Amino acid sequence: MNPALTEALAHPAIWRGGDCAPEPAAVATGFDALDAVLPGGGWPRAALTEIVLEREGIGEIMLTLPALARLQVEGSLVVWIAPPYRPYAPALAAAGLDLARFVVVRDVDERDALWACEQALRAPECGAAFIWTSTHDERALRRLQVAAREGRSWSVVWRRPGRQASAATAPLRLALAPHEGQLAVRVLKRRGAELPHPVLLDLRREQRASLHSLSDHHKRPKPSSHHAVGLPVPAVARARCLRAQRRR
Amino acid sequence: MVVAANAAAQNAGIRRGQQVSAALALAPDVRLHERDREAEADALAEIATLALAFTPQASLAPPAAIVAEVGASARLFGGVPRLLEHLAQQVQARGYHVRSTIAPTPTAAWLLACAGVAAPAAGATRPTAPVITTAVTTIAVTTLAQLPAALDALPLALLDLDANALATLNAAGVTTLGAARRLPRAALARRAGTVLVDVLDRAFGVASDPREPYRPPPRFERRLPLPATVETVDALGFAVNRLLHDLSGWLAARGLGAMRLTLTLVHERHLRERGLAPTSVAFAFGAPARAPAHLNAVLRERLARIELPAAVDALVLVSDETAPLAGRSLGLLPDDVRSPESASDAAAVPLVERLRSRLSDDAVVVLETCAEHRPEYAMRMIGAASIAPARAPVSDAPVPPRPLWLLDAMRPLRADIEAKPWVLRDGPERIESGWWDGRDLRRDYFVAESPHGETVWIYRDHRYGTDDGEWFMHGLFA
Repeated sequence: MNPALTEALAHPAIWRGGDCAPEPAAVATGFDALDAVLPGGGWPRAALTEIVLEREGIGEIMLTLPALARLQVEGSLVVWIAPPYRPYAPALAAAGLDLARFVVVRDVDERDALWACEQALRAPECGAAFIWTSTHDERALRRLQVAAREGRSWSVVWRRPGRQASAATAPLRLALAPHEGQLAVRVLKRRGAELPHPVLLDLRREQRASLHSLSDHHKRPKPSSHHAVGLPVPAVARARCLRAQRRR
Repeated sequence: MVVAANAAAQNAGIRRGQQVSAALALAPDVRLHERDREAEADALAEIATLALAFTPQASLAPPAAIVAEVGASARLFGGVPRLLEHLAQQVQARGYHVRSTIAPTPTAAWLLACAGVAAPAAGATRPTAPVITTAVTTIAVTTLAQLPAALDALPLALLDLDANALATLNAAGVTTLGAARRLPRAALARRAGTVLVDVLDRAFGVASDPREPYRPPPRFERRLPLPATVETVDALGFAVNRLLHDLSGWLAARGLGAMRLTLTLVHERHLRERGLAPTSVAFAFGAPARAPAHLNAVLRERLARIELPAAVDALVLVSDETAPLAGRSLGLLPDDVRSPESASDAAAVPLVERLRSRLSDDAVVVLETCAEHRPEYAMRMIGAASIAPARAPVSDAPVPPRPLWLLDAMRPLRADIEAKPWVLRDGPERIESGWWDGRDLRRDYFVAESPHGETVWIYRDHRYGTDDGEWFMHGLFA
């Protein structure tokens, strides 16, 4: 574009249709395609984010891991409240999270979970708080929003598949679904123009980068701690279809 | 004999030193309390512990005085007058009246403070009860040269002298310290004993006056009887706060932080006799804690959740376990000097402590990896103690793929596989381990993609020896 035109359009009194609201502070997601569509260029630091899942196991946590790792490097604590399954420590450690700055709150009822989330968001030492909840209480979500703003923490409210999403307290709402091996991120709501098309992210490339495949593993000389007992291994990990085998 | 009388009694004419019968004659409806020397000693120890928060050198001067060396800590607290003001405030907050004096020697300070008693009747012995006054500091002697001027006028009756010696000196016309000091030493020692000469020497700074420093007891145990029985937990707040301030002072004096405390709520006597046990509440801290605000926040959260079976009469706070806690070091530059009380009270309660105090200890956990091949035992969830500041070292050994979510109960997949085929993306990884504790397993793990697009971690169970075991789902690659 003409540089003079760009300069003229940069006037603060002009708002362009594709603009997003300026976000005071944002944590870079680690995925450029997603950063481009989020206001502020990353996860909002002082507001609630709501993520609605169509399925679990499609890479939803991997989407957030780079930002969590960055927050931990800065020295903040990461708190997960009422996760649906057990967070597997070896995988988290391999993905780059610091387990010493990672706290999980589990076996609590809904009210205590919301209280814990509010406390975590207000605490200065906590950088991010994830909560898995099925509450639709507008007042409770509003409290979380205020707590996130005052504590300047990144908070995500996860909605598990099958539960109805709440009506719009969070300023940023995403929906995640699998799409032909990739993760499709649909921005349901953001402080900016509506985004009609989902963002497709190929997370398996990231997965393969951080946790390497077994075939590479076997090619190397085995270290003494390796546990595989001899079993014929395919030279290349080809996709095999698994069908029910008839019992002998 | 009457030892102390309050303002109303004094208005009726009752004075210290009178007989009880005389007091009853003056005011028949006067209330008499037995003197409790043990309680007085405990109170003195309590005040000495308070003083230890301001100076490391505080000694008891029974029955009613504390002698503390404040010159070294004066600068830290912003000058001696402010230090005395803080200390007096804290002592008065506990319900005692205080009179403080400053002098170059301990004995002189003590004498000057004792001399501030409302003038006793002629011939009375030295005061044995706490003085009643409203002034905080009236006498300040700063140099040795000023001592004679201040002490000379004090009566000899203040000292604990043998009655004969005192009578001899009075008969000779020597009634003040100044007069006694001007007499020849040898003669004075022969007539009145070496004690007098010793005290005079120590008071005027001629001889050294080492004092035994007060050491707080190794365990904190304090009982606080409540003025009225309390039915609800909320009303206990003030009493708990006071106990915690005492605990904080004791911890500061010994350089410790509390790790475990027990607060016992003692119920009314008639219920106790009927067999109702006192309610005990235990608190554990992740890291040694000392600041009153921190202790208060944790205790209040826990107390808010308990239900009182009956009304409470008294509180007992006991420290079960303590650990060394270094103080905070301040900077040398003038901007860095802050008042220590504000620094310690402003310490924010860590988030993990707050969560643990309200939710149960098991609810707030930290993850830890274990050296184990079996996936379900390769991690542990431990109650969140203090968060270690150092980052755990990451080994460079290559890590096979592991899911971010692990299912607690393996899900059988036979029906799902029969419905639609699943695609294996990676594997097999044979894990065969655990024969020594009976939980042996032999599994082939695969990374698979379900027909719905989820990436899961599944395994084939070969535990029974055959190579076509059942398929189960163990984790999700979230």
